[in-house]
Amino acid sequence: MIWFVMILTGLINFIFRISMFSGIRNIHLPLSLNRYVVYVPTSVLSAIIASSLISFNGQEVLYEAEKLLAASIAVIFAYLTKSVSATLVAGLITMWIM
Amino acid sequence: MKRKEFLLGVSAMLPLLLGVVPFGLVFGVLGISSGLSETQTILMSSIIFAGASQVVFAQLWAAGSAYIVIGSSVALINLRHVLYSASVAQHLEKMNFKWRIILAYLLTDEAFAVSIRRFTSHGTSRPVHFFMLGAGLTLWLTWQISTIIGVIAGSTIPENWELAFAIPLTFIAIVVPLLRSSPTIVSALTSGLIAIFGQSLPWNIWIIIAALGGILMGAFVEKWNHNK
Repeated sequence: MIWFVMILTGLINFIFRISMFSGIRNIHLPLSLNRYVVYVPTSVLSAIIASSLISFNGQEVLYEAEKLLAASIAVIFAYLTKSVSATLVAGLITMWIM
Repeated sequence: MKRKEFLLGVSAMLPLLLGVVPFGLVFGVLGISSGLSETQTILMSSIIFAGASQVVFAQLWAAGSAYIVIGSSVALINLRHVLYSASVAQHLEKMNFKWRIILAYLLTDEAFAVSIRRFTSHGTSRPVHFFMLGAGLTLWLTWQISTIIGVIAGSTIPENWELAFAIPLTFIAIVVPLLRSSPTIVSALTSGLIAIFGQSLPWNIWIIIAALGGILMGAFVEKWNHNK
């Protein structure tokens, strides 16, 4: 089953990638959709970041202080350096020191 | 000329690999710890070939999510490729179908970023499709090799190193530089909040609701700013 899901999602991804220049048909992206697509990466990735830092079991909010601190340091590094490596190293080192 | 374009593409990609290698390693490690087999983890890097969505696939799989949630989450994350596709289309009008298939397969965030710059500056005077091929193949190869190393290392890295934490850190590195306007900030905060409070919902559906909520809020704030 996992292979089926994997191949199907891979295929969908390929269709996205070729969608606008397949040469089979001349398709243009509706401008209205364009307005939404710009928010896709920030929105999806923020959801994952938030859920891996803070969880909620229906009654109480749970978090680990050292992860929140490490993530905050990472945010600062990401803002200043725009580098994945620098952010990763800064966050992990903070995590290990704590 | 073709060879030169190809090599220019390769060298344009090199600095970006600094971010790709740790991400590939993390995915390899995470794939194994999510219960995927070595073959599944390694092949996912060429079947899906899109970093963030592969990580989400592995995480949702490990959490026992419904297939439809996994599939639609991956699709949602990769929807941005439609934008890239539209953007490179006008520059690849003369390509035959074989070229289109190869370049579409290699169309990633990084390959798009370096190629579109070349396309707009030299698109008419040079065989820039070789540039994109060079950039795309360099990224592809790096992604495969770093996944394999991650898979091999995954079984030997002690658990208390907390390497899974590298995932949100990597995403922070991607998202933070994108937060340059009020709509994107509101979009990120909205989806983050929904994600936190939606986690107890079944099938991990929170990821879809949070993403859609963030997207809608972003578009809403943009429109509101515009009308002000």
